[in-house]
Amino acid sequence: MKKILRVFKYILIGICLVFFLFPVYWLVITAFKPSNEWFGWPPKFWPSQLTFSNFYGAKETEVFGGTTGSIENIFPYLRNSIIVGVSVALIGTIVSALSAYAIARYKVGGAFLAEWIISIRMLPPIVSALPLYVIFSRLRLINTWWALILSHLVIVVPLGVWLLISFFREIPREIDEAAYVDGANPVQAFFYVVLPLSAPGLAAVAVLSLIQSWSEFLLALVLTNDARAQTLPIFLGRYITGWRVAWGPLSAAGIVTMLPVVVFAVMAQRYLIRGLTFGAVKG
Amino acid sequence: MKGRLIPWLMVLPTLILFLSMTIYPFAFMIWASFRDYDLSKRAETHFIGLSNYFQIPKDRTAIESFKFTVKLLSIAVPIEILLGVGIAFLVRGAKGEKIIRSSFLIPMMVPAAVSGVAWKMLYNYAFGPVNWFLSLFGVSKISWLGDMNYAQLGIIIIDVWQWTPFVFLMIYAGLQSIPQDLIDAARVDGADWGRVFLHVEFPLLRPLILVALVLRIIDCLKTFDIVFMTTWGGPGAATHTYSFYIYKVGISFGWNIGYASALSVLLLIVSMVLVNLVFRLVKMRRQLGFGGEEL
Repeated sequence: MKKILRVFKYILIGICLVFFLFPVYWLVITAFKPSNEWFGWPPKFWPSQLTFSNFYGAKETEVFGGTTGSIENIFPYLRNSIIVGVSVALIGTIVSALSAYAIARYKVGGAFLAEWIISIRMLPPIVSALPLYVIFSRLRLINTWWALILSHLVIVVPLGVWLLISFFREIPREIDEAAYVDGANPVQAFFYVVLPLSAPGLAAVAVLSLIQSWSEFLLALVLTNDARAQTLPIFLGRYITGWRVAWGPLSAAGIVTMLPVVVFAVMAQRYLIRGLTFGAVKG
Repeated sequence: MKGRLIPWLMVLPTLILFLSMTIYPFAFMIWASFRDYDLSKRAETHFIGLSNYFQIPKDRTAIESFKFTVKLLSIAVPIEILLGVGIAFLVRGAKGEKIIRSSFLIPMMVPAAVSGVAWKMLYNYAFGPVNWFLSLFGVSKISWLGDMNYAQLGIIIIDVWQWTPFVFLMIYAGLQSIPQDLIDAARVDGADWGRVFLHVEFPLLRPLILVALVLRIIDCLKTFDIVFMTTWGGPGAATHTYSFYIYKVGISFGWNIGYASALSVLLLIVSMVLVNLVFRLVKMRRQLGFGGEEL
């Protein structure tokens, strides 16, 4: 009886795994399929030959007598994503660390300020997207990296502050106080004593920030309009509406968009739990 | 003295960022919601009182989008909670736990734009694996994104796929934090696993499930990218979420900033109430080190 239950348990896990992993599998497999196998009935669950051509030189492709739309060069979009993501990660981590330290050690602004900062993370982005569009167009910042960096910082900093407050709190106060005795001011104590000790926390915040900025869709959609500043998710969004979609190259682009996030996320799993659940569970 | 000033200087960048990027925009939005602010018309804007707000109950697409959002909340979110909790219990103690756990996290990490591409292929009417799978059971082809009812179901399935892992992650982490002695003690007292679950594990997990529920409700209100990538709100207005409708009114079609602002103000109010609820549930003040404040 127990054995049957155990077998049943693994069957259930298996079914769930198939459901949750199959869409990703399908994307990956399509990226390696030659064009005549993107469509076809029954669908090909394993390509007859693996091709890498979807990753480069994605030109118009003959499919069933018609052609699919061609896909633009992905590199400007990849560049935009990297520049915006890395800037958001760096600036976001520094800004979060400064605030978190002031709040954790000096209780600046009290509970009100801390809660206000953290609550911003949970508000729907569409609510700020519209006014930001109007404001950025007045400042002539639409379609620039700056528009994205600034708006993504708003998403990233609350989570960073939240994570780092708990991180700094775990560093004993005596360590800063020893620095004060040696004549350091709060800024010096922060930079020379606390920051080096909290390197793992800072790294986690940087990775989380990069992930969020990289995946962000709505603000990037509203605040940019061409290859000068559009990021990878928007690049994907532009091609999905067409009637004959070049699924192979689009899937390849999807892999490029997905891979860094998934890799970083698996690396930062532990911190992710605490960050995403707002401390409901200590990861 | 400088001892007080320096900490304030340290929060200054965040303060400037949030005042300019949230407080100012929100004030602008509230202001605009009382005006006939329409970028497609060149006229000066005027104060028009509550007209924008009165327009909402008369706007059929707004009502549709509201209904679909509620549907998503009331169907997808409970499924995600049940499934997430169930999988957390299944995976705990299974062989290859670490790999299985990491695998279950993947959907939630996949950027929504990428899941949109994947699911659009899966749902394809003529060539999609979903219809192929159903054909094995003799079900004839379904136009997943073209038929009103199926399109709604389609979005719900994607939401379940993407966000069940989030619930799983929370509950699984919560299960790990239950002291093993507690479970062992109950076992020694002769409790079978059903009783351990009912009397030990579930009571400890209940607050966590509640937090997961409210966090999912908050995030569900934001649903936008999946709709944008797969159905674009269609067919008709069947899969407009509230967020997506604001986008259409304010940006992609309408440029009607005034009306979109009124819609946004309502969403903002609902979200703020929910955010406050989460903060109380997780006892945010105490976590931040500002003393306890019980619910």
